Amino acid sequence: MNTTARILIPVLLVSVATLTAHTTLANTPTIRLFPTTVVEDLRQTGNVARDMETGLQEVIGRLDQQQELYHESKCDGAEDDSGCQRLARQIGASYLDMLTIMEERLPDMEHTVNNTRLSLEKGLRNELGRKMTPWTLQETLIGSDANKAVTKSSPTLRGRSGMRLSERFNQYYQLVATSGGKGDQSLAVLASDIYLDMEETSLLIQRTRQEIARATLMEQLNQSFGIITPEMIEVVGGVKSILFGDEQGQALVAGPPPGSIEQAYRSPLEQ
Amino acid sequence: MNSNAIKKPLLIVAGLIAIAVVISSCASTAPTCVAPQSKNLSAAIGTAQSSLLEGCHAHFDRYYDDLLTIAEGDPKPENKREFSQFLVWSTDKGLLSNRQAEDYYNRFFNVKFMSLKGDYNNCSHTCPNKQKVLFDMERELSEKERGLLKVSLDNEGYYRADQLYQEVELVLEATCTACSASR
Repeated sequence: MNTTARILIPVLLVSVATLTAHTTLANTPTIRLFPTTVVEDLRQTGNVARDMETGLQEVIGRLDQQQELYHESKCDGAEDDSGCQRLARQIGASYLDMLTIMEERLPDMEHTVNNTRLSLEKGLRNELGRKMTPWTLQETLIGSDANKAVTKSSPTLRGRSGMRLSERFNQYYQLVATSGGKGDQSLAVLASDIYLDMEETSLLIQRTRQEIARATLMEQLNQSFGIITPEMIEVVGGVKSILFGDEQGQALVAGPPPGSIEQAYRSPLEQ
Repeated sequence: MNSNAIKKPLLIVAGLIAIAVVISSCASTAPTCVAPQSKNLSAAIGTAQSSLLEGCHAHFDRYYDDLLTIAEGDPKPENKREFSQFLVWSTDKGLLSNRQAEDYYNRFFNVKFMSLKGDYNNCSHTCPNKQKVLFDMERELSEKERGLLKVSLDNEGYYRADQLYQEVELVLEATCTACSASR
């Protein structure tokens, strides 16, 4: 995935995290993986991300229209045409707007993502790392229904990369929506997943901020010539696929093996 | 003098013969420890129990494996109970300790992972050995596939164990990252 495009991952992550925060508040877990500080950090990150997302969607919509006009005007291969050059400059200006929005929002984003990451880190370290043995961790994860059938509504694990944003959002939403009464086992997985996402996101933001400086300089130079570079098209395409989805990128979620047998027997040896 | 010189080799030969007789008689009474031949699990367990009581207890692992193979030929939920009863019998007869019996049962027929047994916290003990723990869990998952899925037809149980393995992998990755970030 393109580096600049990947910056949008935090946007949805944080929106999802905000939803998570609301749900976990209602759950009142016995292990404190989502204390009020985390919830507040998530809420704040969600607000910053939403602002960025809204701004980017508007610019991307404009870029879409401009690119369509460029193609309809048969400007491909007619770069010397003055009208086409003007269109190319307009597209370049929108592209610069996109980079500027990212550049403006990213420091706030980085700050709030790091706060969330650090809060979750502390919770995971204390609650799961120091207070639990591997056996108690397993018992937390399995809950009290070790021998019950797995219901179809159970949350499933999500991959942390290579998934389009809308799909990720949908999966998080499903997870949050179905984990309401499940207690600690779902929260431990959820906290772990969000924490690892935040780790990855934090690194991506750092790299993207460096990349934006370079891309902005390049585009400012290109503006003089009215050129649409393949890089620009690729970046915008990547951003669009993340925001509006890509059917081919649908995540596969494993289903249970066929058959369902009532398991009534419980051995006296069972742990 | 002469008679003594003749007697000495005779005594040696007689001694050797006596040792050979003792050895051969021992060999003829040693248990053969053959695998159960029946394809019926209950019958096979009966045969295994006889053999184990007749001095084949050192081969317990192999017998357990043979019984699992036989049970795979006729998989059904009741097999869980058969194995449990066999293991309880083994502890009653002093062939296994309680802990060993629990280990034999749970590794194959329970969702929970015995590889996660441990008395120390995750930061100090599990995380430094994370790769080994996960490797052991993976191996145990294949034993659960055999016990839960192939022997007991407990698809749901096996699916839950597989899911648990993935959850532990994810949670350990996050927890250990958090532990290592501690300053």
